[in-house]
Amino acid sequence: MSVLLDVQDLQTRFKVRQGYVYAVNGVSFRLEEGETLAVVGESGCGKSVTMLSLVRLLPPAASIESGQVLLKGADLLQLDQRQLREVRGGQIGMIFQDPMTSLNPFINIGAQMAEPLIYHRGMGKKQALARSAELLEMVGIPDGETRLREYPHQFSGGMRQRVMIAMAMACEPAVLIADEPTTALDVTIQAQIVELVKALRDRSGVAVVWITHDLSVVAGIADRVIVMYAGYVVEEASVDALFEDPRHPYTVGLLGALPSLDGDAHRLTTIGGSPPDLADQPTFCPFHPRCPYAIERCRTENPALEAVADATARGHRTACWVDIRELQSPVVSGS
Amino acid sequence: MTTQELSATSGIELAQASRSNLWQDALARLAANRLAVIGIIPIVLLFFVALFGPTLTPYDFLAQDFTARLDSPSREHWLGTDELGRDVFSRILYGARTAVSVGLVSTAISLVVGLIMGSLAGYLGGRVDILVVWLTDVTRSMPALLLAIVINLTLKVPLEAWMEQLYLETKNTFFRQTMWVDLVLVFGALALIQWPGYARLIRGQILSIRSRNYVLAARALGMPTSRILTRYVIPNAMGPLIVAVSAGLGGAMVLESAFSFLGVGVQLPIPSWGKMISDGLRMWQTHPHLLAGPAVMMAVITVSFAWLGDGLNDALNPRQWK
Repeated sequence: MSVLLDVQDLQTRFKVRQGYVYAVNGVSFRLEEGETLAVVGESGCGKSVTMLSLVRLLPPAASIESGQVLLKGADLLQLDQRQLREVRGGQIGMIFQDPMTSLNPFINIGAQMAEPLIYHRGMGKKQALARSAELLEMVGIPDGETRLREYPHQFSGGMRQRVMIAMAMACEPAVLIADEPTTALDVTIQAQIVELVKALRDRSGVAVVWITHDLSVVAGIADRVIVMYAGYVVEEASVDALFEDPRHPYTVGLLGALPSLDGDAHRLTTIGGSPPDLADQPTFCPFHPRCPYAIERCRTENPALEAVADATARGHRTACWVDIRELQSPVVSGS
Repeated sequence: MTTQELSATSGIELAQASRSNLWQDALARLAANRLAVIGIIPIVLLFFVALFGPTLTPYDFLAQDFTARLDSPSREHWLGTDELGRDVFSRILYGARTAVSVGLVSTAISLVVGLIMGSLAGYLGGRVDILVVWLTDVTRSMPALLLAIVINLTLKVPLEAWMEQLYLETKNTFFRQTMWVDLVLVFGALALIQWPGYARLIRGQILSIRSRNYVLAARALGMPTSRILTRYVIPNAMGPLIVAVSAGLGGAMVLESAFSFLGVGVQLPIPSWGKMISDGLRMWQTHPHLLAGPAVMMAVITVSFAWLGDGLNDALNPRQWK
């Protein structure tokens, strides 16, 4: 398999009243053709900003300071606005968290779905509408032709997310970026949406980047996982390796917060505190104030993402000074 | 169960599917609002009269009949006559023309200025935004009537002198008609008073719509900015704007009357309801019809615009859409 998307050393920061907030700090990852990559982490870890940076959909206060985003070898950060619009929707489809507000309430579903087809594919209006009806049926909305004439307020949340998925997939993109698409939905609808994306992926071969903070979703859909914290990738592994052999204390914490069906019922562990807003490039591990394994070095040096020693699977990397397997129980941090 | 079967079992689903167009939807909601419908009738009449007033009036609004001064309402003069024997009904109909033209023109001017300033502030943000907001604050900090009086007092004389000079240069009698000076001053004053409201409304609309998810989603689909503006931002900003314009039209007419009442609006011989009210007030105890005619007219139109604006607000407010 060849590399489809290659992100290198991406840095994005936000201008705030006093200086900057560093939201994405040298994030690198690769996405191979047909692969599904999950990006996990708490709210505020830079997951969404990373993905918005890829297609430069950032709010005005944010700026990309360095890095490369190579899509099939072409750097998206160097494209002009026109070329960039071709990529958005054409090469990279996106779906967002809140389907209730992601559709324009003033135009009907058909006109809305036809827009990208007319714009990217140069279809006529009739043709675009016919294709839209097909797309609706493809995402499991029956009676597409009738529903095209309806407006967003006549659709439920799950239906709207299906419409969003259909629109994102309309121009057969190479990459589908799903930014927490199930977070705002009921659990039963969540499962349907996950299954739908899996089915579409298997049929079209689109590579998927699935942003989530729900590790149970990750297990069901992803091939590989990157864990983000404070704008850094702190661990990267295949999905099996991550669940069986997590090496970063943050990943361990996230897994500990996940209820499990087997084993004894016990109180779920939580990670105290919340991720920091970095006002500067840190000279410490950004996770150390919340880390039960923290040692002195964590306070003075920020670890880089490096291959895990004696990993069970290839491509397992983590950014931690401590080999947490050596420790039987977490040392109580002094801070 | 398919959608059709669902529709067959529950009439609600079917009713919803048949309502397709949002504008039709809004219109239906407006038509269901009794006060708004009642309000529309005088407004339509007003515009009709403003357009065709001079051909409808039984008498010329300037025709003086000294044999019938200060007559009470009668078969010849439905609403009586004034001091100079002019037919009050004819003058009210002609005054509608003043009210409507002042309302429309001043609203149009302030809307255009407000649209430009508001969208500049909303889109560009930063210093432009701060400047525009500051300008609107400064303008709004001055009482409307006081501002109109200041404009009238400071600009009227130089403007008239300038027109006189133009007349001397061109010999075009158009420049001799000082009523145009009055109208221009009233339009200008009203526009100056009203544009900040529209500018702030539009700025707020653009700021809020620009950060909506559907705009982000449209950008993520690669839509060009012009398309996003025309298909996503502007239609969604229309509702509150229509409501504001409806209220603004009524407001402008009331303000014009207030100016005329205070003597800084349009001057004789153009009939203005405000001027008629102020004239009638001098002898309301002996000849109440002079006050009653224009005052009742004014009240009816003001209330009608308020009801229509209210109805539009309810019809176009997305929060009430189910």
